[in-house]
Amino acid sequence: MEKWLRMYSTKLRTKGVTLFIILGIIILLLPLLLKSPYQMHLIIMLCINIVLGMSFAMLFSTGLITIGAAAFWAIGAYASAVLVMNLNLSFWLALPLASIITGMIAFMLGSIIVRAPGVAFVVQTMVINMIVVQALGQMEFLGGWGGILDIPRPNPIVSIKFVSKTHYYYLILFLLLLTVVVFYALYSSRIGRAWRSIRLNPRLAQTLGINLFRYRLLAFIIASMSAGLVGSFYAHYFGTIEPNTFSVFKSIYIQIYGILGGLNFYLMGPTIGSLMMTLVPEFLRVGKEIEPILTGGILILLVIFLPGGILSLPERMGSLATAFLSRIKRKESLH
Amino acid sequence: MAFLEVRNLTKHFGGLAAISTLNLDIFDSEILGIIGPNGAGKSTFFNIVNGFYPPTKGKVTFKGRDIIGLKAHQIAQLGIGRSFQASTLFMNLTVFDNVFTGFHMNYKEAVWMSFLHAPYALREERSAKQRVMEILEFMGLAALKDQIAHNLPHGHQRILGICIALATQPKLLLLDEPLTGMHLEETSTMLNLIKKIQNSGMTIVLVEHNMEAVMRLCDRIIVLNHGKKIAEGLPKEIRDNKDVIEAYLGTEEEFEPIAS
Repeated sequence: MEKWLRMYSTKLRTKGVTLFIILGIIILLLPLLLKSPYQMHLIIMLCINIVLGMSFAMLFSTGLITIGAAAFWAIGAYASAVLVMNLNLSFWLALPLASIITGMIAFMLGSIIVRAPGVAFVVQTMVINMIVVQALGQMEFLGGWGGILDIPRPNPIVSIKFVSKTHYYYLILFLLLLTVVVFYALYSSRIGRAWRSIRLNPRLAQTLGINLFRYRLLAFIIASMSAGLVGSFYAHYFGTIEPNTFSVFKSIYIQIYGILGGLNFYLMGPTIGSLMMTLVPEFLRVGKEIEPILTGGILILLVIFLPGGILSLPERMGSLATAFLSRIKRKESLH
Repeated sequence: MAFLEVRNLTKHFGGLAAISTLNLDIFDSEILGIIGPNGAGKSTFFNIVNGFYPPTKGKVTFKGRDIIGLKAHQIAQLGIGRSFQASTLFMNLTVFDNVFTGFHMNYKEAVWMSFLHAPYALREERSAKQRVMEILEFMGLAALKDQIAHNLPHGHQRILGICIALATQPKLLLLDEPLTGMHLEETSTMLNLIKKIQNSGMTIVLVEHNMEAVMRLCDRIIVLNHGKKIAEGLPKEIRDNKDVIEAYLGTEEEFEPIAS
């Protein structure tokens, strides 16, 4: 039995590689498979949500929980819109600039709020989110509660004119990939190890010479920059932005993307979580009114029965299986 | 000059004086034992030296440098490592990763080089991994390197705690009750290890309840009671010291006959 299990697991690994390649090809050719623009729109929003979920997960990797991710998404979106519409910059310049501006604002806010981790941080990020939405709504030159309309499409590069959703899809796919690569490089470096040690045991981490404040601030800035990046994309993709899109409610959704997939999986967790949260309501075809109730219900069940998220399921099953096997073995040895 | 000098150190928690006007010196490459009954201020002393608590009054200098007011990570960077009373580990990580995390401040390459996975940074990481194995072998945990820390028996967890502190390559090592909860065999292993660490050129201060072990291990002993130093000297001197016996067993006069 055990031998069979071991053989199966190595087989599974080689299968995993082929599965990965097939999945990559499907993702690249997705525009050919999906015919309706609505489906493409869903997929593009899914990619945005994945990046937002990953930014939440990055803060979680240092033991910080944010309910304010949408605020930095908003800052990126508004900054980009202003840069392009008022300062006549090219979208391709505004995209990285919006991300940098978001990072700078995160640096200023983070310097104050990162000092007090725990519940204080959760509340402060939430309040920041509320203030940002309220402030955007009050500022008349940013369109007030009506938001900014007619944000121009990205300037064409070479022959790509950004008219169809396919072009936007490849752009967001690139941004998603960029985020994944940068985040992965961070997690696998000693920065990631420092973050993990802070999350697991801040007291011990300190005695290892790790500057808690600086490393948490770094995570806060990078997470916010990625949110700002997709914020800029969102503004120019959707064409209109209004303050209420970026409410605390969205931040809670972003949090759910991370928790649903599994908080211990900083990259795959948000991916799976966003996938479920974006596609399942579509398949179920429930009304927008009951959808929050449904997702809330799912979340409660999940937190109770599978606190490690969907991705912890195999491990959970594995530990159940080994427990089962050892029980069989014990029975055999008794006979 | 002493390695670590403590002058007039006082720490109040509200109205309680956990430590009052403590003076002591720690010299290069010795093992100093700090003993005393519960609540004598031993752990508080560590937490001040280590930067977790600011003292109410007093001065602590490490190799001539005033360390009061520095943050815990800055003090760690100066070369003061510590282990904790309860098993304070990264419980979900493997033994190897626990010690590897401890290497954080020993990299010479800039942090962003590590982020870029530059060849030099990767090479440095590989050599760090080798050093992790050296530490694990030195402390006898090499065979357990892939175990999750959480699953280790208590004795091994305590040793792992010291391994993590060693990974920071400290010059002064503070051990907070390294022997609590250990059975006889584990205790003697631990004593040998501590001696071995000292021989490798490290200064060690340990706080401990186990009198017998402290007497055997330490070069010098300081006895605290109610936050004050009541005795200091060689193990032999401490054993015969009247004040120490009183502190641990109480005075005869305290026991007045109840029915008279």
